[in-house]
Amino acid sequence: MDESTLIRHAANGDAAAWEPLVLAHQEAVFRLSYLLLGDPDDAEDIAQETFLRAWNHLKRFDPTRPLRPWLLSIASNLASNRRRSAGRYLSALMRAFRNEPVSSTSIEEKSTQHMEASDLWKAVRNLNLSDQQIIYLRYFLDLSVTEAAEVLQVAEGTIKSRLSRALERLRGIIKQDFPVLAERHEGSDS
Amino acid sequence: MNESQQEFFEEQLLSISKGFDYPRTPDIAGSVLTRLRTFPSPSGRLRSAPQGGGRGERHPRFISRRLAWSLTVILVLFSSLMLIPPARAAIIEFIQIGVVRIFRAEPAPPDQGTPVTATPGPTSQPLIPILESLAGEMTLEEAQKAVDYPILLPAYPANLGPPDRVFVQDVGGYMTVLVWIDPQQPDRVLMSLHFIPAGSWAIDKMKPKLIQETTVNGQRTIWAEGPYPVRFSNGNVDFIRLINGHVLIWTDGKITYRLETDLPLEEALKIAESLQPIKR
Repeated sequence: MDESTLIRHAANGDAAAWEPLVLAHQEAVFRLSYLLLGDPDDAEDIAQETFLRAWNHLKRFDPTRPLRPWLLSIASNLASNRRRSAGRYLSALMRAFRNEPVSSTSIEEKSTQHMEASDLWKAVRNLNLSDQQIIYLRYFLDLSVTEAAEVLQVAEGTIKSRLSRALERLRGIIKQDFPVLAERHEGSDS
Repeated sequence: MNESQQEFFEEQLLSISKGFDYPRTPDIAGSVLTRLRTFPSPSGRLRSAPQGGGRGERHPRFISRRLAWSLTVILVLFSSLMLIPPARAAIIEFIQIGVVRIFRAEPAPPDQGTPVTATPGPTSQPLIPILESLAGEMTLEEAQKAVDYPILLPAYPANLGPPDRVFVQDVGGYMTVLVWIDPQQPDRVLMSLHFIPAGSWAIDKMKPKLIQETTVNGQRTIWAEGPYPVRFSNGNVDFIRLINGHVLIWTDGKITYRLETDLPLEEALKIAESLQPIKR
């Protein structure tokens, strides 16, 4: 069954039809949530909530449209709210006492590529939330301008201008605080 | 940045971000389907595929999460009491202290369970970057002005000093959290002390590894050791966390105090009993 057929079935209460859709999009939803929140547990909460909310509003969704931008839009809103909520605050404090590491990979073991990507993420996290969202969608999740516009519910032209401003700010941060990354981008100055 | 510079920069971003080391994606589908099939959903839709694709009856649309959770707990307790053999009835025992309910797996005689000894040193996650993005930070003096209860500080250990970070957040009442950073590892939290007014958060701990009753200045107190899931809810936010630290919980009737630390019980008690109002 194609996506639109599955959406129609799910919208009629067929949970079995919802499962392959969740499976198809769970990684993108989880990853965006993780990028925005920086914690895998928070990201899992948000991803679950995203699919539950979407399920509850499927009747209002046009099944001819692609599902992923809508899901990412819900996830992005939920993650933004979580960033501001006391819940995140409490959960952050709780994490300080857990034994299990978030990732078993030590900094030393990470490849240069991972380190660069991690530095880039740190740099992006210095931007405001709106800039972060657009950069995660466009580059980390590799969405097209059209898809990013659907997620953020703005016109494509708006995405382009916002992206341009966000990149300018990101470049400034990288130059100032991430010299190793900046070296790699020297070509962009030439 | 001109057009070609931006293009180059974008290519670099795409290339670098491909190497990002994401955590493994958990089984979201499994959890979502389980929740759809098991628990009541806000809109009351049927959880499994009904024959003919119809919809189930709708529950009231604006049922609050707290109410839903309370109802779930009541239903679980009630149905468990009705249906399970007496030997398993202890599963639903819980202790209420302030805003915290602690569900325990079985009645634990004092001489059973893991002995309370000094635990290994902190193995906590770096927390500071997360704390940086959280709202409600203020000075201790500002916090005391913001809340209508006395913020207490530990006089023990003598060299502890004032908290490194102070947060006040409105969670249905003004909750204060004091955070002390480990001076040996500045990206780690040594301990935190929570002041939670009655009626704000509901906190449920599920089957901690060890629960022990004790007292702080004569007040009934619970010491719980992880790992255990904790459910936080305040009507708007509702989430579950796995906790592996220790917590001392007591209440004076108006405020529930939670001292989170990796220190052993004896040390936690000394800290709790040394609490006193801020000196001016």
